[in-house]
Amino acid sequence: MKKNKLSHLPPIKKLNLTRRHFVKATSALVGAGMLSSYGLPLYAAQNVEEMMAMYKSANMDWESQKGSKIVLSGLEHPWMQSIEPLLPHFTKLTGIDVQVQKQSESEYVAEVPVKLGAGNPTPDVYMVWSYGQAADAGWLESLDQHFDNPNLFDKNWYDLNDIFSSARSFPIWNDGESYVMSITAEAQTMFANQNMLDAIGANVPMTFDELLETGKKLKNDDHAGVAMRSKADGSAGTWPCGGFVFSNGGVVMDNGVCVLDSAEAIEAVQYYGQILNEAGPLGVGNYHWYECLNDYMQEVVAIGMDSSNFATDIENPEKSNAAGHTTYGAMVSGPGKQAKPNMWHWMAGINSKSQNKAAAFLFLTWANSKPTCLMSSALGLATTRTSAWESDGFKSAFGTQAATAALTNLQNADGKIMKDCWFHPQGGEILTPWGIAINEVVTGTKTADKAMKDATQKINKALGV
Amino acid sequence: MNSFKKQRTKFIVLMLMPATILLVGLTLFPFIVSLILSFTDYSLLRPGQTKFIFLDNYIELMTTDEFWIALRVTVVFTVLAVLLQVIIGVFIANLLHQETHNISFLRTIYLLPLAITPIAATFTFRLMFNPSLGVFNYFMKSLGFPPQAWLASPSTALFSLIVVDTWQWTPFILLICLGGLASLPNEPFEAAKVDGASNWQIFTKITIPMLYPFIGLALLFRSIDAFKTFDIIYVLTSGGPGILTRTLNLYAFKHGIEFLSMGYAGSIAIIMLIITIVVAQIFLRKNNLLKPKDTFKR
Repeated sequence: MKKNKLSHLPPIKKLNLTRRHFVKATSALVGAGMLSSYGLPLYAAQNVEEMMAMYKSANMDWESQKGSKIVLSGLEHPWMQSIEPLLPHFTKLTGIDVQVQKQSESEYVAEVPVKLGAGNPTPDVYMVWSYGQAADAGWLESLDQHFDNPNLFDKNWYDLNDIFSSARSFPIWNDGESYVMSITAEAQTMFANQNMLDAIGANVPMTFDELLETGKKLKNDDHAGVAMRSKADGSAGTWPCGGFVFSNGGVVMDNGVCVLDSAEAIEAVQYYGQILNEAGPLGVGNYHWYECLNDYMQEVVAIGMDSSNFATDIENPEKSNAAGHTTYGAMVSGPGKQAKPNMWHWMAGINSKSQNKAAAFLFLTWANSKPTCLMSSALGLATTRTSAWESDGFKSAFGTQAATAALTNLQNADGKIMKDCWFHPQGGEILTPWGIAINEVVTGTKTADKAMKDATQKINKALGV
Repeated sequence: MNSFKKQRTKFIVLMLMPATILLVGLTLFPFIVSLILSFTDYSLLRPGQTKFIFLDNYIELMTTDEFWIALRVTVVFTVLAVLLQVIIGVFIANLLHQETHNISFLRTIYLLPLAITPIAATFTFRLMFNPSLGVFNYFMKSLGFPPQAWLASPSTALFSLIVVDTWQWTPFILLICLGGLASLPNEPFEAAKVDGASNWQIFTKITIPMLYPFIGLALLFRSIDAFKTFDIIYVLTSGGPGILTRTLNLYAFKHGIEFLSMGYAGSIAIIMLIITIVVAQIFLRKNNLLKPKDTFKR
């Protein structure tokens, strides 16, 4: 049976909470200093009426869709894990029943597009893995009309300004409409085992060259220096290697044309491959994020550079040997270049064929509201709200230093160059050849120059440019 | 009499109906849809904009290097995996056939891989192949050999996939051969023993030729199945390093499910079907496996 985080929470009495504390925490959003990381969700679970009062202070009709049933589809992801235990609150608040369909990432990405492409009315709400593909194919309902509906949305109560600017701009599609809401925030962040760094007297690397040198020094019979994704797949190496390309002055797409054959991009991929070749673990060419995280937590790798969301697992002593002695740092950069880490907001949207669009919109509003984000962030979820990131609950679950590093990296990221590639309607046809090219460089099948030029040619042919 | 015949015909038709409906619904209908799709540019990304493009998908495929690389990988994987499975399967079947003690226990042990869900077995192999924490490299180091990047190295990735497929499917060959061996007459073996033939001579000159129809069928079934292997490759290498383990099935999956180009993916599937039918027919005819044999006539 799957463990429910809420079942491991400390007894409520020990938290010494009062209604005043909770209201203060959720309204001021920075005043939750007395709460433990699990305090808010637990308090909410046991004090439903007070929770309801928080939501009902919004000037909108939560019960306008009472009796509806919606299907929420998502993948095994921290967002689903933290939202699922809170769903009874939503049902009590709105009278809307939520049925959850959860799958592994590979199953989800394979099945849901086929369902949506076939015009299936379910799921009603779903996690969007490829915004460009979904928006371009007409699988998403525009949310703008719902934002303007006073029965379904209270702009003041929702407080858009509390949401990161990148998370606000992410959902705006080429036509100016918003089809999704950003639900998480993550940036490419370095995590380094401080004990291992201390053992060789090294500092956290800041540049590609420093990372290569430090990684090589760290590598020994017991552990590798650096692990990053490089499996031959569009969803593996492309994201972290994207940060390398951006931090070396390169981009993936320029005016709709793939430019991965630029000198900057080739040099970045060359560095990426060399670092993994010379400082990476054996077999790193078959590593996806799972292997990178697992090796780091088992202390068989000293440095990783991936999603800031890894911090929740890294700092969990039940899972990780590296808990408590990991230093989180900025993205490394190319010679004389400015670091531009990759970033990502997971998004959720409404199926354009859904029969329950209003109910689905109420769900999205609830899931992204301040009280819900404060609760889910106390479980370690990196939401899109400043208030949640600043809460002590989040800092305690995520780690203060990890949160600071993630925020810094988010600020340094350039969402536009990232969106040009990852939001492209033919994103899969860009990312897959590129992912394979990265793998070819890491496994020594091709040189960076040949791999990137071949991939670029293939991508541009697929895009018809 | 006529009434009896009519009733009998009606009964037969009625009895055949469920299987026919299933066959048409689950096999024939998808095949026809795939065939039609393969002549179009149907993409889930462009609903309502599908055009009939006749043979363009096939021409595109034939002029794409990736298709030929995938075809080569598929053929190499199929031939090597099935060959290895047949050799090991026939050999173990022959040993088990001669073993009289613990035969049921040994049969059960050898057939266990067939009973395990392929995806579960594949994930277990993924852990075992892990270069840092996997058991294979543990044994390599224990024996004084350098650890290997089993799934990430161009020289070992395909071999590793063949090992997994062989582990999973050798019992299938074993099962068929054991059944075949049990049905063979004893006289030729006894006569050979009386004439002083060695065990090896009996195995190569009598067992194999007499067992050939069974081996042939097992080989055919396994070849068809191995030709469309997907789960092992998808989970273990995703077609890497580079595209060195990307088979036609994985290539079709990439285009159909990841790029949502159903027409193009359909054309790959149809080509796979044509190759399977042609090779199977040649194999069956060359080996006279379609004709009744008199092997067992005494």
